[in-house]
Amino acid sequence: MHITKFQEELLSKAIDAGFKEAEVYYERSESFQCMIFEGEIDSYETSEDGGLGLRGLYNGKMGYAYTEKIDEDSIPFLIDSAKANADVLDEDDGSDIFEGSKEYANHTFYNEDLAKIQIPEKIELIKSIEKKVLAYDPRIVTLNYCVLQYFSGDRMLENNKGLSLKEKKNGLVIFISTVVKDGEEMKTGSFIKLTRDFSSLDADKIAKEAAEEALSNLGEQSIPAGRYPIIMRHNAAASLLATFTPIFSAENTQKDQSLLKGKVGKKIASDVFTLLDDPFHPNAASGSNFDGEGVATKARNIVSNGILETLLHNRRTAKLDGVETTGHARKASYKSTLTIAPLNMFIASGEKSRDDLIASITNGVLITDLSGLHSGTNTISGDFSVAAGGFHIRDGKISTPVKQMTIAGNFFDFINNIEEIGSDLTFLPGGYGSPSLRVKELSVTVD
Amino acid sequence: MIKQSIIENVLEAALSKGGDFSEVFIEDKYVNRLELQGGKLEKSISGRDYGIGIRIFSGLQSIYTYTTDFSEEGLLLAAKRAAHAIKSGVNGTIHPLRKELFQPIHQIEQMPQTVEHARKVAVMRKANEIARNYDERIRQVGLRYIDEEQHILIANSEGKFVEDTRVHSRLSIQATASDDIEMQTGFYGPGAHAGFEFIENLDLEHYAGEAARIAITMLGADECPSGKFPVIIDNEFGGVIFHEACGHGLEATSVAKNNSVFANRIGEKVAPDIVTYIDDGTLPNEWGSLNIDDEGEKTRKNVLIENGILKGYLIDKFNARRMNAEATGSSRRESYRFNPTSRMTNTYIAPGTSTPEEIIASTESGLYAKYMGGGSVNPATGDYNFAVSEAYLVKNGKIDRPVRGATLIGNGAKTLQLVDKVGNNLAHGAGMCGSISGSLPVNVGQPMIRISEITVGGTKGE
Repeated sequence: MHITKFQEELLSKAIDAGFKEAEVYYERSESFQCMIFEGEIDSYETSEDGGLGLRGLYNGKMGYAYTEKIDEDSIPFLIDSAKANADVLDEDDGSDIFEGSKEYANHTFYNEDLAKIQIPEKIELIKSIEKKVLAYDPRIVTLNYCVLQYFSGDRMLENNKGLSLKEKKNGLVIFISTVVKDGEEMKTGSFIKLTRDFSSLDADKIAKEAAEEALSNLGEQSIPAGRYPIIMRHNAAASLLATFTPIFSAENTQKDQSLLKGKVGKKIASDVFTLLDDPFHPNAASGSNFDGEGVATKARNIVSNGILETLLHNRRTAKLDGVETTGHARKASYKSTLTIAPLNMFIASGEKSRDDLIASITNGVLITDLSGLHSGTNTISGDFSVAAGGFHIRDGKISTPVKQMTIAGNFFDFINNIEEIGSDLTFLPGGYGSPSLRVKELSVTVD
Repeated sequence: MIKQSIIENVLEAALSKGGDFSEVFIEDKYVNRLELQGGKLEKSISGRDYGIGIRIFSGLQSIYTYTTDFSEEGLLLAAKRAAHAIKSGVNGTIHPLRKELFQPIHQIEQMPQTVEHARKVAVMRKANEIARNYDERIRQVGLRYIDEEQHILIANSEGKFVEDTRVHSRLSIQATASDDIEMQTGFYGPGAHAGFEFIENLDLEHYAGEAARIAITMLGADECPSGKFPVIIDNEFGGVIFHEACGHGLEATSVAKNNSVFANRIGEKVAPDIVTYIDDGTLPNEWGSLNIDDEGEKTRKNVLIENGILKGYLIDKFNARRMNAEATGSSRRESYRFNPTSRMTNTYIAPGTSTPEEIIASTESGLYAKYMGGGSVNPATGDYNFAVSEAYLVKNGKIDRPVRGATLIGNGAKTLQLVDKVGNNLAHGAGMCGSISGSLPVNVGQPMIRISEITVGGTKGE
C-alpha cells in the first residue's frame, strides 16, 4: 500500500474513531555495510526498511502505537492500540499535537554526491584501508573490525492540524579496530569517522591514524594510584558529556531526577565552560530542521561561561516551567515515545592545541578512551567511576601508555574543575562534541 | 506468515548468482511497553515489528539483506540485491523444504497480547507501593514493564523449515533515595521467557523491596577505597563478571578469527579445578532461553569450561566454517535487522561446595559485591570493567560498612585463574547483552565466588 495514501487514511480514520488530534511519523531507510577481513569481503549487508508511528490525543490523553507492516490490516491495529494506550494513562499531562512553527531553517543533511558513489567504489576504499593498515607496521596482527557503512533515510511528520514536514539524510561511517602485538603484550585501538563528503576520505591518512592509535598503546607501564591532573582527549570528553546529558533535560528536573533543578541563571561550571547545541553544525551528524514534535530547531547556548542559560525543553515541559520550548523533543524512531535530547551538543573550543595543554602538566594523565560508561555512571548524583585508557604525562610530554585504569569523580565537580579548553573540537558519530580539556584532578586507579 | 512457495522462490533467487547456502528469517513481533513514574502511568506504547532477513553464504563470505517490504516482488528484489554481491557464477542447490516440528521446552500460559493493560498496570502499582513505603527517604520510583511476542519462521536451502513463538516479559524497578544532600538509586529487573503468569507471580515484596533497600543503603555509604583486594561476588546477577571476562571471549565471533585470548586453547587449563562454566539455552522459561536459535538449531547445554579445562566455544553456522567445527545452537540476533552470530543464552558458573558463610568468614579483608551493575569487555585483549551497585568492605571475616562507587577492572583470562572459592548457592539474573548482532536477553548466573585479587577503583583513593 502506498505510504501517502496509508497516512491519509490512517489520520482520517483516527479522527473518526474519536481522536481529537493525531499525528503520523514515518521513516524509511536504506543501508549498505561491508566488513573486510584479510583482503576479502567477510560480510556484505544491504537493507531497505521503514515503519510508522501514530500519536494521538484520545479523551485528553496521548496514545501511541507503531507498525512496520504497512497494509490495510494495520490501520485498525494502530487505532485500537493507541486508544488502549491512551486509556490506561493516569491523566492528561498537557501533551498535544503541534500546529507548526512560523519558519523552518532549510539546511540540508543529504549529500547528493555521496549518494551517487557506487558500492564497488566503497568496497575498494575500505579494502585499501585494510591493506594499508596491515602494511603499516609488523606489530599489527589483524583488524578485528574494518567496516564501511553507508546509510540514507527520509522522515516525515504529518498531523491533522495541517503540519507536514519532511527531511532526508545520508552519511558514511568508517570503523576500524586494529589489533597489535609486541611479545606477549596485545592491545587494540579503534578509529571511527562519519562524513557526508566521500572525497575527504584519504585512505593513507585514515590507515596511519588507525594504526598509530593502536601502536601507541604498546609498552604499557603502571603508575601509582592517586589524584592526577588530567587532560581528557576530545573523544573521551565528548563521551562523558553524552552520558551526562540527561542532567540538562527539563523533564528530569521536573521529576527531581536532576540536580540542575532551580539552577537556570546560576553558575554551574567553570568560567571557561560554554556548552552549545547547534542543529546545523557542519561537522556534526545529528542535525535536523525540526524536532520530534515538529518545532523548528535553532542553535542555542545551554551554558555560557559557566552560567546555565536554559534546560532542554519540549512543548510540554516548557509549558510547565512557563518558558518557550527549545525544540528538543526527541523521537528516536517511529517506535519511540517522545523524550528530550539535544541535537549536536558540544563544548565550545578554546585557543590552545592539545600539545600545549599537555605541556602545562608536570605529572599527570592523558585520558584517550573511556569504557563502561553505561554502568559506571549515575546521572542523578553525577558520580562516575569508569574504566579508562591513556598515557602518563611527565614534564609536559606524553611518556608511556598506562595499564588499564579507572577514573572516578563527579560530573558536577568535573565541569567546575575544567581549567583550560583545547582548540581540537571533534564530534562523535552520535552528534556530541568536545575539544580536549584540562581538568584540575581526578582519582586514578591502575590495574 | 508468508507462503511456502514464495519462500522457496526467495531462497532460489538468493543463490541465482552463486553461493552455497541461503536462508530466510521472517519475524512478526508484537511489543507492549509501559512506564510508571512517581505513581503515575506516564507512558504506554504498543507496536508490531515485521520484517524479513535474507542470508547467503559463499564460502567464507556472508551476505545479508533485510527488508520490511513483504510483497513477493519486494522480497525477490531484496534476494537479488544480495545475490549481486557474489561473483562465482555457479548456482547453489536448493533442497525441498521439510517442515520441522519440535516439542517446545518453554511453556507459555498467558500470551501477553491477550492480557488487558489494566492487569499489567495493577502489578506495576503494587511494586510502586512496596518500594515507596519501604522508607520515607525513597523519593521516586520508576517502573518499566515490557512484553514481547515474537513469531519467527526460518527456512534455508538445506531444506529446513521451522517456526517458533518466543515470549518475553520483564518488570524493571528503579528506586531513588534522597536525604536532601545526595541521591542514590537501586535497581532490580526480573525477566523470563514466559507470559504474563511470570509477572503476576513475581515476589514483588522481594524485588521492589530490594531496589528500595539498595538505594537507602547506598545513601549512607562511604566512598569506596581503591586498591587490589580479594573480592567476593554474590550469586545471581554477580555472574555478569564471567559473562564479560570470559563469555564473550568464547564466542565464535572472536574465536574464529583468533581475536580472543581463548582461541586455539581447547583442552588447556584456563581456570582452577573448581571452575565449570556452562551456557544452557534449554533452562525452562529462563530469560535467555530459546527452543531454537536464530538459525533454527535446537538450543542445548554447552559446557565451555569443565573443572578448569577449556572444552568448547559458542559457534554459529557461519563461523563453524572458518573453525571447521559444528554449530552449537548459539546463533542469535536481536531482530531481522541483524545478521546472526554466536552469542550467549543463559551462562553460569556451576555450583561448588563452599557455603556463603564459609566464604565470608575465611576472608580477612576485602570487598563484598552484593549486587553488580553492568560492565563491558574488549574481547581481543580480555580487559574488562564492571560497576558494583551494592558493595561492602569485609573485615576479619565479617561484612562491614557499605561503600559506593566501586568499579572492578582486570583481564578476563587472568581473573579466571584467580577464582579461589565457589559457593553452593547457584542463581541466575536477567540482563541485556549488546554486541554485533544486537541487544539480546541473556541470563548470567553463578553461586557466590571469591577472586583472590581484583583491582578496585573507587572515589576515595588508596
